[in-house]
Amino acid sequence: MFVAELTGSVTILGKGLMVGLGMIGPAIGIGLVGNAFINAVGRNPEAAKFLGQALVIIGIIELMALLVFATLFII
Amino acid sequence: MFSTLTSLMHFAETGPTVHIVPNELFTIHGIPITNSMLYAWISGTLIVLFLVIVARMMTVRPRRGVIQIVEALTEFIVGMLENSFRSRKKALQYAPYFVTIFFFVLLNNWLGLIPGIGEAVTYNSEPLLRPFTADLNGTLAVAVVTMVVVQHFAIKESGWKRHIRHYFAGSLVNPATWLFGLLEVFTEFTRVASLALRLFLNVVIGEIIIAVFAYLGHLAAPITSLPFVALELFVGALQAYIFVTLSAAYLAVATQHGHEYEAEDEALEATAASIKSVKSAK
Repeated sequence: MFVAELTGSVTILGKGLMVGLGMIGPAIGIGLVGNAFINAVGRNPEAAKFLGQALVIIGIIELMALLVFATLFII
Repeated sequence: MFSTLTSLMHFAETGPTVHIVPNELFTIHGIPITNSMLYAWISGTLIVLFLVIVARMMTVRPRRGVIQIVEALTEFIVGMLENSFRSRKKALQYAPYFVTIFFFVLLNNWLGLIPGIGEAVTYNSEPLLRPFTADLNGTLAVAVVTMVVVQHFAIKESGWKRHIRHYFAGSLVNPATWLFGLLEVFTEFTRVASLALRLFLNVVIGEIIIAVFAYLGHLAAPITSLPFVALELFVGALQAYIFVTLSAAYLAVATQHGHEYEAEDEALEATAASIKSVKSAK
């Protein structure tokens, strides 16, 4: 009984740690892309047309965060 | 402490029902038919009918309404292809496939957001309909077809020999060339997985978020889940755009670097020929 409770608690702790730690990297990555894009537009307003490319790179990084989120429902 | 955590876990377990994998509805001669397959047939028929009707109604003089939106999106994708291939002719040459895949992914994403698709309507206590792009098999099929078509176009553009040579770019006597070449070939396979996983995870997690907020809202479910449906409309369009942009970029990379190492290859062949002639002279 106690072992089952312990296993369940460890699972829920592990899930929390996984989401919390796993989202750090993608969050920093998306922040860096946004920073670079805003900087580029600030220096050269013509660069605003590259929003599509910035979104594509964000889509690539977002995959890592989504993998973490999906693993939450699989394990 | 443990009992508190367990009760929390119990609360989490009584939450909204979410599915990562599609459910089997029934079997036809031993072949399982899943809910996403069922909806894929419906949505595929709807998309083909819609696009055929729009194509029939298109005239030289611009018309208002849905036709104008489809025309604008087609022109948008052609413009994007023009940017990545740096030539209008090439963009128009490859446009049919990329525009098709854009509308296929976009309309599948949007058709999955209609109320009633997902967990709401059940059959044998399993959801009856599931969006096609919320099934990894479906997105994997789209990604595999895309990468096969990209390879086909690249080989058609630059020929077998030069296409394989572009993976092994550099001097052929250098072992690093072979190492990086094999890595490049492996990258092609990871591209299939990343294209499929990106589309699948974005759609399925959108479905989960909508389900969670509809569950939290209880009686006010339409109000609480509406902002996330709107967000998913945007994400669905963005994912279709990203899918097409990335596959176009892969094709552009595969076709544009085909000319750099021609001179070196010719030099190698000339050296081989001269060695042969020296040997025969001896």
